[in-house]
Amino acid sequence: MDELLAVLGYKVRSSDMADVAQKLEQLEMAMGTAQDDGISHLACDTIHYNPSDLSGWVDSMLSVLHNNSHSAGGNGGGGGSSSISSMDFSTPTQSHKSAVFRDDSEYDLRAIPGVAAYPQADESDKDSCRKRMKTSAGGSSNSAEPTRPVVLIDSQEAGVRLVHTLLACAEAVQQDNVKLADALVKHTGLLAASQTGAMRKVATYFAEALARRIYKIYPQDCLDPSYSDTLEMHFYETCPYLKFAHFTANQAILEAFATANRVHVIDFGLKQGMQWPALMQALALRPGGPPAFRLTGIGPPQPNNTDNLQQVGWKLAHLAETIGVEFEFRGFVANSLADLEPEMLDLRPADVEAVAVNSVFELHRLLGRSAGMDKVLSTIKAMKPKIVTVVEQEANHNGPVFVDRFTEALHYYSSLFDSLEGSAASPSSPTTASQDLVMSELYLGRQICNVVACEGGDRVERHETLTQWRARMESAGFDPVHLGSNAYKQASMLLALFAGGDGYRVEENNGALMLGWHTRPLIATSAWQLAR
Amino acid sequence: MARSNEVSINESKQMVVPLNTWVLISNFKLAYNLLRRPDGTFNRHLAEFLDRKVAANANPVDRVFSFDVIVDRATNLLCRIYRPSDTDDPPNVADLEKPVKSESSHTVPVIVFFHGGSFAHSSANSAIYDTLCRRLVGLCKAVVVSVNYRRAPEHRYPCAYDDGWTVLNWVKSRTWLESKDSKVHIFLAGDSSGGNIAHHVALKAAESESGIEVLGNILLNPMFGGELRTESEKRLDGKYFVSVQDRDWYWRAFLPDGADRDHPACNPFGPKAASLVGVKFPKSLVVVAGLDLVQDWQMAYVEGLKEAGQQVKDLYLEKATIGFYLLPNNAHFHTVMDEIKKFVGSIC
Repeated sequence: MDELLAVLGYKVRSSDMADVAQKLEQLEMAMGTAQDDGISHLACDTIHYNPSDLSGWVDSMLSVLHNNSHSAGGNGGGGGSSSISSMDFSTPTQSHKSAVFRDDSEYDLRAIPGVAAYPQADESDKDSCRKRMKTSAGGSSNSAEPTRPVVLIDSQEAGVRLVHTLLACAEAVQQDNVKLADALVKHTGLLAASQTGAMRKVATYFAEALARRIYKIYPQDCLDPSYSDTLEMHFYETCPYLKFAHFTANQAILEAFATANRVHVIDFGLKQGMQWPALMQALALRPGGPPAFRLTGIGPPQPNNTDNLQQVGWKLAHLAETIGVEFEFRGFVANSLADLEPEMLDLRPADVEAVAVNSVFELHRLLGRSAGMDKVLSTIKAMKPKIVTVVEQEANHNGPVFVDRFTEALHYYSSLFDSLEGSAASPSSPTTASQDLVMSELYLGRQICNVVACEGGDRVERHETLTQWRARMESAGFDPVHLGSNAYKQASMLLALFAGGDGYRVEENNGALMLGWHTRPLIATSAWQLAR
Repeated sequence: MARSNEVSINESKQMVVPLNTWVLISNFKLAYNLLRRPDGTFNRHLAEFLDRKVAANANPVDRVFSFDVIVDRATNLLCRIYRPSDTDDPPNVADLEKPVKSESSHTVPVIVFFHGGSFAHSSANSAIYDTLCRRLVGLCKAVVVSVNYRRAPEHRYPCAYDDGWTVLNWVKSRTWLESKDSKVHIFLAGDSSGGNIAHHVALKAAESESGIEVLGNILLNPMFGGELRTESEKRLDGKYFVSVQDRDWYWRAFLPDGADRDHPACNPFGPKAASLVGVKFPKSLVVVAGLDLVQDWQMAYVEGLKEAGQQVKDLYLEKATIGFYLLPNNAHFHTVMDEIKKFVGSIC
């Protein structure tokens, strides 16, 4: 790789440099011959993938422009919400990913256009595209050095003292200096009381977690799961993180399911099934009709024997009926994903049914048990999925050194809480808004408690960064599937719907998408397929 | 690298530019062509998708660490702060705003940096600018404050200038940025549109009663223009990555509706601009690239400062194109870095 360009975010092999330069010249000429006002119109309706791979980008731009200059039919007219300029997809050298579509439609969570809406039947294109993506992925070299992205929200004097005290307390805890830790945790309480807003709440949760650790009062593990589901639903309402997670994962799943007639989604954490109505509706709108949709939902055991999974399944079945999608549901109760065996899932052959495995904030829980993760990854492979979607918190809360973990978490949750302050729900009902907010904070507070106060098998919130997940997935035999500019754009538009959402940012990172608060990424969605 | 990097790309251009620089800037040019729509709107989503960004990093890399600060919540105005580190050890994260005077007995210059992008492109966290700002820290032993100003066409004049002014005031009021003499030693710097912003923020500081003293301005290929078509614009139109047409587009996107390019924002020494005679304007270093079509306006800017009795040094680099300072692979890069270092050092 050319080192100088790599620093600037572009991966180009030195040996390819002259070739890329020549193609850029060709691209310029092709853009010049396209109609004067045609370039921005045409080319920016193209879906772009991984801008860091300059060589790939230029290639796909060239093929889009060459196709358009050869198009037999006219452009898809003015009216109508979804039209397409005719393109010749059958030539093997073209990448099927450069679908051109007219994106006039207003943002609509239910209809996710893109390649999924215009399935391209030629298999050979997908192969060439996959190969192209593979080489670009292979070139990525992940630095082992951790980065520490910090956004200072509050630079008041008292805020700084509070952070100092919390960190000093964590240090004392790490050194087993109980007396000092005890004094500091009390002092933190005083300082926190003098703060306002996000800082106060975050400090309070962290102080409480520290106190639990010091006095060895571990929080009750696995409270009623329905309680945590309720908290999560409030979190879902209050801020866009979960919506982003579902939305971006669904986009990847839709694209992977583009030509399948029978599809099977395996959801590693069904909870209230909030991710699936949108996917089902998008499938229902597919030209040529929806595929048969099978959903397997996995969840933890319920204490009072209520079958939460089945209830969710019934609700989704009802929805499926109203929108005309053939639907099948199966619920699986499991204490841990590692208990799952592929035989249990009644998998059908890959040429009959396309499988997607979906994990939103579930995989990190396996990192506390040795061999748990390996087992699950090989189980996933045995499912022969077309796509695996993984959404995880973008933070390293699993480091071996307590103080480092504490510091990371402090900054992570500070940003998260700060974003909540901004995005209260509907102003028309302030009571609901503040209720949602409190519940969301409680939801996050439980995570904080787990990261700080627990150890061993009890510590399940073992978040790791995208870089770490990438390394893990790649060494387990998965290749990345790049989420493109279309998903990016729609995710950005989704954010614009949030009041107080000005601080949210979507970022593209080597094919993955991250949602952050200002410049601090907080969650990351990546998609994977089996390596060839 | 074993192979020579100096290749002429196209016989008719006979241009000697390192190959990777050519690839970098050409890529920007073509991508930017996609983003500008003829109706004056801008494909912001695609722009943000394509822009290569880097996160702030509170762990030192090459003895520089960075962190972001929200300066103004109302406008989401963010700055990235770059600080030098004596060690490679991560600083105590609570010490990010540790007073600069505790780390150095010398005067610490604070460079407020405005990234380029013709008012529409890039951000403080764009990789090209993050890299440049890191270099400035080591070069000048400075703290660099990179302003993530609001961009056109969504935010026209004077938003970018207002944001610059807000940050200037914020920097002035940070006790942790004071040197041993209890003063914050402020420089303004910027490339392309950032250079233009630096000028106007310095002007505002000089003309206001704020008492904020800007010690020096560093303008790299600053973006200026006017209604007249200059000789260099005609001669170099479309030859080295930039065209008059695209310059016109960006000015239309930035300037208020109905304004022309003789608006003082664009043409600070033009027919509509106020005189700078007698204004306590900072000393300026203006770097002009000989293959930049805007150079006649940049040299006119230099002349204008001189005629107004202001101190200015111009550095004319005959064979430089735009963006030469983004990669350290050419002689001009090193020349300019030395000049910047000397300039800051001579004042601080």
